[in-house]
Amino acid sequence: MRRITSFARRALLATTLVATAAAGQTAPPIPAWGGALQPQDRDERGLWMMSSDDEAVLKDSRFLITDKPLNDYVRGVLCRTVGAERCGAVRLYIMRVPAFNASMSPNGMMQLWSGALLRMRTEAELAAVLGHEFAHYERRHSLAGFKQARAATDAAIWASFIPIAGLALSLGALQGFFLYNQAQEKEADLNGFSFVMQGGYRTGAFADVWERLIAEEDAGRVARGQKARGGRRSGFFATHPASAERMTYLRALARQAGDTADASTASHRAGLGPWYARFLDDQLKLNDFGGTEWLLADFARTEGWTGALLAARGDLYRLRGQAGDMAQAAGFYREALAKGHDDPETRRGLGLALLRQGQQAEGQAMLKAYLDLRPDANDAAMLRMMAGLPPKTATGPTT
Amino acid sequence: MIRILVAAAIAVMGLASAALPAAAQEVARVRDGVKIVPGQTRIMIIQPNIKVGSMSTGGLFEPNAEWTATARGLIDGQVRQQLGTMGVKLAETPAGDEAGAAIASQYRALFPVVAKAVMEFQFFLGNRLPTKKRPGVFDYTLGKDIARMPGAADADYALFLFSEDAYGSAGRKAAQLLMAGLFGVAIAPGVHVGYAGLVDLKTGDLVWLNADPQMGGDVREADGAVKRVGQLLANFPGTAPAPAATAK
Repeated sequence: MRRITSFARRALLATTLVATAAAGQTAPPIPAWGGALQPQDRDERGLWMMSSDDEAVLKDSRFLITDKPLNDYVRGVLCRTVGAERCGAVRLYIMRVPAFNASMSPNGMMQLWSGALLRMRTEAELAAVLGHEFAHYERRHSLAGFKQARAATDAAIWASFIPIAGLALSLGALQGFFLYNQAQEKEADLNGFSFVMQGGYRTGAFADVWERLIAEEDAGRVARGQKARGGRRSGFFATHPASAERMTYLRALARQAGDTADASTASHRAGLGPWYARFLDDQLKLNDFGGTEWLLADFARTEGWTGALLAARGDLYRLRGQAGDMAQAAGFYREALAKGHDDPETRRGLGLALLRQGQQAEGQAMLKAYLDLRPDANDAAMLRMMAGLPPKTATGPTT
Repeated sequence: MIRILVAAAIAVMGLASAALPAAAQEVARVRDGVKIVPGQTRIMIIQPNIKVGSMSTGGLFEPNAEWTATARGLIDGQVRQQLGTMGVKLAETPAGDEAGAAIASQYRALFPVVAKAVMEFQFFLGNRLPTKKRPGVFDYTLGKDIARMPGAADADYALFLFSEDAYGSAGRKAAQLLMAGLFGVAIAPGVHVGYAGLVDLKTGDLVWLNADPQMGGDVREADGAVKRVGQLLANFPGTAPAPAATAK
């Protein structure tokens, strides 16, 4: 399975690879389409069997989003990007996982995580991610990667028989595998770029994605007291090129291509529909204060500080709950209400933030207002107590 | 060092290598009071989880679709035959509607988690949890909601089976001999693991688990499948005295 980001990157033996600019690189032409793939040899049939087993499990996953409008929207973007014929070879699974990732299995099973959908600002950016994944499939990267992994581990074990020098040779063989994997990712980036152009989307979109991911990751790191990396870090075991490197070569390609076409910003938000608010809520629960704060500000750059974004920011501060956070949270909730944001949860958040600051009367009034709107809330019993209301039903001893 | 390297190579690729068979490992346990009554007890067979492939020289699992398809057919046939010989009545395993299939899928995923907990924290003597040390205690459950699984109303127990084989390639066997001969280091020449469990469809209780880490029988051949299924179903409650039962 190929993924778009190296999600759990381990830096056991970190070496920094120098980011290379894409001097003189051009987007490869899109090859003729030979129809949906079929497994050709024993290895490929084996990989397909594993993918097919995985897919059977995925179909019943509770994280799978089956909502038709959302699936239609994403499939529509995929079909415009890779073309109707290629699009038919893909089975799309949108998973509710609040992290940026997408992956492709050799049998045509494509997974897109909700965290990626939340982070894409435009349809063109989504097109870039989907085009990248499709390129993995068309280029049979899983199979080639598997063969490479086998060759590398085989070489490593034979090299390990050689005294002393064997260790270095083994490590070299293993690193060969990771470098090969990085080369595949770059190839998928370049092929994906060609698809974005073919779909008539703004070609700079893919570079924008990496630029923002780097900034978001750094904001999260800085808030945790770590050093910003600027997306330059690529470890010995990195399966993907460093984000900064990807941004650089994709940006260079976009400049060459002119980069003027349609980004389709409004249509992306429309495509997400009610899921935007849900994915935002998932993000708030990740306990990544710095990254989320950055993300909210990034959304506000495009759409301004809307009531929904202000309410989300209130939640973010209230959930962190450090000194001064409750006052900030209350301020954001009030702004959201002032802008006419009518989600009852905003009153709940404001009530809780006020109570934590000792503003009893106003906090209780807010919670009462919330309970009037949501009398059946999961935690209604507790909130009634906090609001100073009597219990809803008699709790005397039952006979 | 070499072992660490190889382990790292395999771990990095996200593929588990077989641990060497642990000594002093219990292999089976039956919950107190569980009886299989011939001609009466109804068992529903849950689609077994079977995977067959080879192990490359470097220890990578190479899935093999043909071998797996063969093994799935052979094992399924053998399980039915051997349970039939024991006098067990086989209940239908309906696919159910979409919601029912999703529930079945959840339990197929839950069973290995519980089974592995038993293997690690009860069967493995050196690692037994204090709460599992009381004599005669075999107390694990998948929860009584298992009664919502399609077909659960018409059966007494569900049988879960897991079997995974990685046959060592020629290169792997050569590497194993060389490692042993030159350095005295043991590397696994292949993986042959399997376990089977019986779950009460009313209570969700795990009533029997059999997990022998040294499985025999070549699942790619009819004779081998007879032996493998025999091992998977060894110590089946009510068939032969389970070693665990005598130990308590």
